Amino acid sequence: MDDSEFSRLLKICRIHLSEDERLAIKKDTNDILEYFNSLSEVSTKEVHEAYHPISVPEKIRSDVPLDFPDVPLLLKNTKTYRFYVVGPDI
Amino acid sequence: MNSIKEFMACDKPDGYAEKLLSELRKANERLNAFNNITEHLADGMPFSVKDNICVKGVETTASSKILKGYIPAFNATAVQRMLDNGFSFLGKTNMDEFGFGSFGINSENPARNPFDESYAAGGSSSGAAVATSILKHHVAIAESTGGSISAPAAFCGVVGFTPTYGAISRYGLIDYANSLDKIGIMARSASDIKYVFGILNGPDAKDTTSLDIKYKSENKKSIILIDQLIKNIDKDVESNFMGFVDRIEGMGYVIKHRSMPFIDKAIPSYYIIAMAEASTNLAKYTGFKYGFKNEDFTSNYNKFFTDARSAFGTEAKRRIVLGTFVRSASVKDRYYSQALKLRALLLQELNKLLSEGFILSPTMPIKVPKLEDVKKLSALENYKMDVMTIPPNLCGLPHISFPYAYKNGMPLAAQLTTSHGNDNAALDFVQEWERSFKYKFKYNIGELR
Repeated sequence: MDDSEFSRLLKICRIHLSEDERLAIKKDTNDILEYFNSLSEVSTKEVHEAYHPISVPEKIRSDVPLDFPDVPLLLKNTKTYRFYVVGPDI
Repeated sequence: MNSIKEFMACDKPDGYAEKLLSELRKANERLNAFNNITEHLADGMPFSVKDNICVKGVETTASSKILKGYIPAFNATAVQRMLDNGFSFLGKTNMDEFGFGSFGINSENPARNPFDESYAAGGSSSGAAVATSILKHHVAIAESTGGSISAPAAFCGVVGFTPTYGAISRYGLIDYANSLDKIGIMARSASDIKYVFGILNGPDAKDTTSLDIKYKSENKKSIILIDQLIKNIDKDVESNFMGFVDRIEGMGYVIKHRSMPFIDKAIPSYYIIAMAEASTNLAKYTGFKYGFKNEDFTSNYNKFFTDARSAFGTEAKRRIVLGTFVRSASVKDRYYSQALKLRALLLQELNKLLSEGFILSPTMPIKVPKLEDVKKLSALENYKMDVMTIPPNLCGLPHISFPYAYKNGMPLAAQLTTSHGNDNAALDFVQEWERSFKYKFKYNIGELR
């Protein structure tokens, strides 16, 4: 991965790195991707992806709001205005 | 006395809880096992909770600065079930940030090994293992994604159990990688773990991946050694482990050597899946929920989000970057999809071996390392240390790490893996081992005399 591709990736990730971190993580990224490339040695044409390690029966729950008793405690984790969570401009 | 039931039933001397808390706080100043310790300890058996599992009203940070100040408004199901069964909450244990690490060093104040403080405690459930090693009567609720229970349990000389994926509800767990995360248990004996596993397993309407199955104990009296895993490890670890295998043979087990296709692909497959899932899970930490960090809401969303994410540690940033890359459209088939297919192949091969008996290996390929030495490892060298713990974790198979010897004052541990749902067999195997082996601990805080 070259410098411009790495910069683009950081922008997508919304990650800012110091110069030292940038050098270290870019080198690690290339070393690790090279290691990951070894997976291509295996032919997996007829193999299905295992999204889970064990089959989990499909469970559907009703789409209804439930009472949550501790809303004030929940809202302590945010800046609020009336009963709204305050966030940055979009 | 070592059973939970006996502890629960006996009368404690006056001031027992206060003395325990005071001794624990003192030890914690040196060992960094806990991120916080309760002010008041109730009468039940004390239990600690890894800091990525929510406890109502108690700061829960996953040892990350980005979650500093986050106070959950609810209990994780595992925590609620412990409280409902008379256990007493003791505190939140230290860990690698969000579970990203094998040595406990990706924390602001790394936990230290109770056998020798200059050595690593293992990770990511470093604090849970240290707490179990220093407290006489206690169980730890921990969590494993790729070896986060086995590795620290091995280094700190305790028993660490990772159940079948989905056995214990993950409601209230701060996700690292959803298809890999498993809540598990550490204790000083397999019998204590079995008791707690009986309380914690079972379906939960709040976690759609939780299983509703009966856990078996099937033992074929055969031990499988995967030859590729035992090659190229520390020579002392190999020779001690083979001596342990002789002892197991003496207990009436048949030892079978096998080679396993694709086993060398387990680490890259695991890290691709884990990083891909982690990079999406960490996107929710925007700096204005889960504890707000920045009250200047005038900057635009991208700048606000980027500034907030500067609170992540270096390993978290590395995993976000790699995880975002491997699931990007142009390379997704080469990395992410291929890793998921390799997981299917590895599970198929492991199941073949497990149909013959238990898989046994050293828990870690090295002896307990010094903290200063693990800090010198590159990221890739770090990842390769998970060679033993990743295969069962990637495939959601139940496994247990337990000490089998002590060399130069430090523990050596083995890891036993069995098939999905055969969790009780792994616990029963270790109980059988414990009948002829005495565990050693340097501390016994809370001992009843």
